[in-house]
Amino acid sequence: MSAADLDCRHVRLAIGADPGHLAPEIEAHLAGCAACRRFRDETLSLDAKLRAALELPLPQFRRRASPVRRYALAASVVLALVVAAGAWVLRPADALAGEVVAHVEEEADSWNAHELMPASAISSVLNTAGVEFDSQLPVVYAAPCPFRGRRIAHLVVQTAHGPLTVMLLPHVHVTRREKFAEDGLHGLLLPAGTGSVAVLSRAAPIDAGDADSMVSAVRWVK
Amino acid sequence: MNPPSGGTSPAAPFSRLLEMLRPDLVRFAYWLARDRAVAEDVVQETLIRAWKSRDELKDTAAARPWLFTIVRREHARLYERKRLPTVDVEEVEALGDPALASDGDSGLTDLRRAIMQLPDEYREPLVLQVLGGFTTAEIAAELGLTQPAVLTRLFRARNRLRVIYGLAPAEDAE
Repeated sequence: MSAADLDCRHVRLAIGADPGHLAPEIEAHLAGCAACRRFRDETLSLDAKLRAALELPLPQFRRRASPVRRYALAASVVLALVVAAGAWVLRPADALAGEVVAHVEEEADSWNAHELMPASAISSVLNTAGVEFDSQLPVVYAAPCPFRGRRIAHLVVQTAHGPLTVMLLPHVHVTRREKFAEDGLHGLLLPAGTGSVAVLSRAAPIDAGDADSMVSAVRWVK
Repeated sequence: MNPPSGGTSPAAPFSRLLEMLRPDLVRFAYWLARDRAVAEDVVQETLIRAWKSRDELKDTAAARPWLFTIVRREHARLYERKRLPTVDVEEVEALGDPALASDGDSGLTDLRRAIMQLPDEYREPLVLQVLGGFTTAEIAAELGLTQPAVLTRLFRARNRLRVIYGLAPAEDAE
């Protein structure tokens, strides 16, 4: 179809559908049609605003109660009643628990570390993450990981009950201790001042004493 | 994360890719679901599913449409699984969802509300195109439509939004 065969209605349909990718015959029509050029310019201007409108500011995206979350909570209550064991096992419907599990699964090799990390390497990681970790437990893995927009310290420490992954989260506040379990991992989210500590175990539910010692070892420095 | 002893986990680049694309996945899920909490849930499921299926992604350049597709499926699955009530647009409007607000730009806020009010059949291809960067052929494949049908929907979506800025709508193609 040549430019001469195109009427303005069809040209504007093409512009309105995909203003950034116009066929040569549309461009040819525009060269000789001021009204359609104006329509094209208006549409391109609208698209710039449209793009800005769709790119919502994510800081305003924080959680509020959702139907899904309410169902998840209800399911957890039922589960707890059924097992009647006093062990509250919360699937990581919570975003933080899910993100922690995903991160640790990504770093699955970290569980296999056995050699004591050099103190200098641990210090470097902690400095990068802006945290002090004063624990007597042997640290066999330490790395500065990206997590929710900043570098955090991801550690694996050896305890009497087996290795624990410890993620020190200065920028993530939690209000209360929460247990979760997913993909064979047992986890705890622990309030720690203005931040939080995530502790995970592959072997068994986390010993309360071990969890407390992780929190007491942490001091946020920046 | 790189292990401190050197070397890079093969999974690390994929993780970084997910981290980089996550904001747009949340935005896309929000424009689909029109509910912030549901959007977060959809994206969380998406990331988990993507992680488990990461071997299917042969070319990282295709990660964006691949992930958008997973978002769409997870969104549909969520509503199917949980039988969630559909979102009432008037209710969203009445709530004045702060996610729609724009500092000092009431026009942008109005535009977001207008997008929110578009029927799904117009809003979804528009968001795929503008936010997702999909071509019209890709949108057609994604939505199971013909390309002319997609073009018509995109045209009508923009035509409805023109009035926000006082622009006359174009004559529709029938």
